[in-house]
Amino acid sequence: MYRYDSFDQKFVDERVVHYRAQTERYLAGELPEDEFLQLRLRNGLYIQRLAPMLRVAVPYGILDSRQLRTLAHIARHYDRGYGHLSTRQNVQFNWPELAEVPDILQDLAEVQMHAIQTSGSCIRNITTDQFAGVSEDESVDPRPYCELIRQWSTSHPEFDWLPRKFKIAVTGASVDRAAVDVHDIGLVVFRTDSDEIQFDVKVGGGLGRTPVIGQMIRRGLPVRHLLTYLEAILRVYNRYGRRDNKYKARIKILVRAMTADGFRDKVDAEWAHLEGSPSTLTDEDLARMQAHFQPYPYDSQPASIDTLGSQRLEECAFDAWVRHNVAPHKQPGYAIVTLSTKLTGVPPGDVSDVQMDLVADWADRYGFGEIRISHEQNFVLPDVRFEQLFELWQQATSAQLGANNVGLLSDMICCPGGDYCSLANAKSIPLAEAIQRKFDSYDYQHDLGPLDLNISGCMNACGHHHVGHIGILGVDKKGAEFYQVSLGGHAGNGASLGQIIGPSFSRKDVPDTIETILQVYLDLRHEDEPFLLCFRRVGMDPFKERVYANPD
Amino acid sequence: MPTLIKHDKIMEDDWAIVEVEAPADGIRRIVPLEAWLPESGDGLLLQGECEPDARYCVAPLIAINFLVFSDGRGLSLAVLLRSRFDFTGELRAVGDVHPDLLYYLNRCGFDSYLMPDERSAQTALSTLAPYTDYYQASVLEPNPAHRRTRRFA
Repeated sequence: MYRYDSFDQKFVDERVVHYRAQTERYLAGELPEDEFLQLRLRNGLYIQRLAPMLRVAVPYGILDSRQLRTLAHIARHYDRGYGHLSTRQNVQFNWPELAEVPDILQDLAEVQMHAIQTSGSCIRNITTDQFAGVSEDESVDPRPYCELIRQWSTSHPEFDWLPRKFKIAVTGASVDRAAVDVHDIGLVVFRTDSDEIQFDVKVGGGLGRTPVIGQMIRRGLPVRHLLTYLEAILRVYNRYGRRDNKYKARIKILVRAMTADGFRDKVDAEWAHLEGSPSTLTDEDLARMQAHFQPYPYDSQPASIDTLGSQRLEECAFDAWVRHNVAPHKQPGYAIVTLSTKLTGVPPGDVSDVQMDLVADWADRYGFGEIRISHEQNFVLPDVRFEQLFELWQQATSAQLGANNVGLLSDMICCPGGDYCSLANAKSIPLAEAIQRKFDSYDYQHDLGPLDLNISGCMNACGHHHVGHIGILGVDKKGAEFYQVSLGGHAGNGASLGQIIGPSFSRKDVPDTIETILQVYLDLRHEDEPFLLCFRRVGMDPFKERVYANPD
Repeated sequence: MPTLIKHDKIMEDDWAIVEVEAPADGIRRIVPLEAWLPESGDGLLLQGECEPDARYCVAPLIAINFLVFSDGRGLSLAVLLRSRFDFTGELRAVGDVHPDLLYYLNRCGFDSYLMPDERSAQTALSTLAPYTDYYQASVLEPNPAHRRTRRFA
């Protein structure tokens, strides 16, 4: 993984000093509230419903065991003993004291971490495939390009005061686990037949109030032009994006207003001036960055997956865990393990300080000290040897991180909702729990097959409800919390936006409604047909009919 | 009282925006685009959303107005005037110029700042350069950091 050099370290150290001075001026009454707001937002500090919330950057979701132990320490020392894995691969703390945030940043800087640009109208944390660099289906490792973009976008003089937040995602695999179609910029990196690295560039995707699938504006951009092309896109957006209405300020609205062709023309005209400028990447720049992401010294005489045979036969829960939570690794004898945080009764994505410390220990013992955070709010251990899987599963299970539900109904994406967030219309965590309780049976979930259920507490869509196979959105109906249900959304390859089934439901009715929807699916599906494909085949009508059939 | 920062210190201002105050003797005028004549020797006042134009570059001074400090359009306009149209005169930030943002403005090519009052000018001077260096290229540093300084792990 990427390690700071003296330049990076100095920058984050100076960031701590800088932010501390701003905090002190605010606390001394020298910096007005509304001005401090803009400054603290550029450092990930929100003022939430009950307390400030600090969002720590986990660049493209990768951290090491030492960094995770520091997060555990922060949870213990400055918070209430837990943190939250966000849908943008970051870690959030819900109860820090505003005055202590500079101290937290200092602790973070000591392990090469920060909270720079994790909120505010600027370029946010770059996200990627949580299996980047180790997955079997990868054509190009996206991590070096994520890091190049991270550095380029950090305190960019021109692009830190954009019309609205700006999210860039990168994938290099054939299965899109980074949801690049629903980002302001989605980058797909691949290798050509002549061994050249190129990018397909999509713009204007996003969720929120106006969900849009991104549009391709450039195919096959040679890697050396990556940063200058991004500069052209950002300049067009910074200059022409709407600033009169924050709900129409995202780049998707601009792309739609200009049309994708019009936007592309504007970007190309701008890029004509930038092509070949000093920000163009050289072979040396690329090699220097790629050197940070070399494969670990894997065992060249690995065990076979057959070594698990008897353990899988004896323990069906372990067998199910291997089936759902263990993904193929590009290195023979190794596996990628997802540790699910979605245990019934625990808010999705919440992890305690003790769990963080344990995951850090496992990363050292069952890998090379590296941990990933997925946008589905789970931990990933990327380099586990086959013969260690059983032991890891036993430990994970006793630490409540062994749920064998990755990709299943109860592995839901869920925002913090009305329990924490001041924007939310409705609570999402108690609803997630009610759904998990109703469908607690593994056999039932396993029979349903792959199913993404996503819950957002408001239309800002932090829980990605538009791209859930089943999406749930909290709405306010005359002061009461109601939930709108949509079907048919999808975040990966061939992304689609869910369609609303009809009038919204009260919280107590949602689990039964989901049950009806699932029953319709079970009745109508062809053999082994997943929910999404079944929905695409039969359409909304059969679901709508049964859900709104009035028994009275 | 508005206070001018130029060359990293508080300076007497020998320019005045005519919309704001009538220029006293010996004070040069900054006029909006519709009143500006290229040969006049007047300074030119532009809004952040303005399209840059090579004609503007004969002005001895261009002032870019920030309606609110968080509106980044003036930053892009400054970059374009400096890097695409090679404007070499004084480039001044006016309007809602926030003392904590000079390190962005500076790297976009501004070299003077009309702060709303003396207090904010003092604050700005105390936080002019919070960072020793930056990653990316800018108007001030056409090369990104890794091309300028030796970076090692």
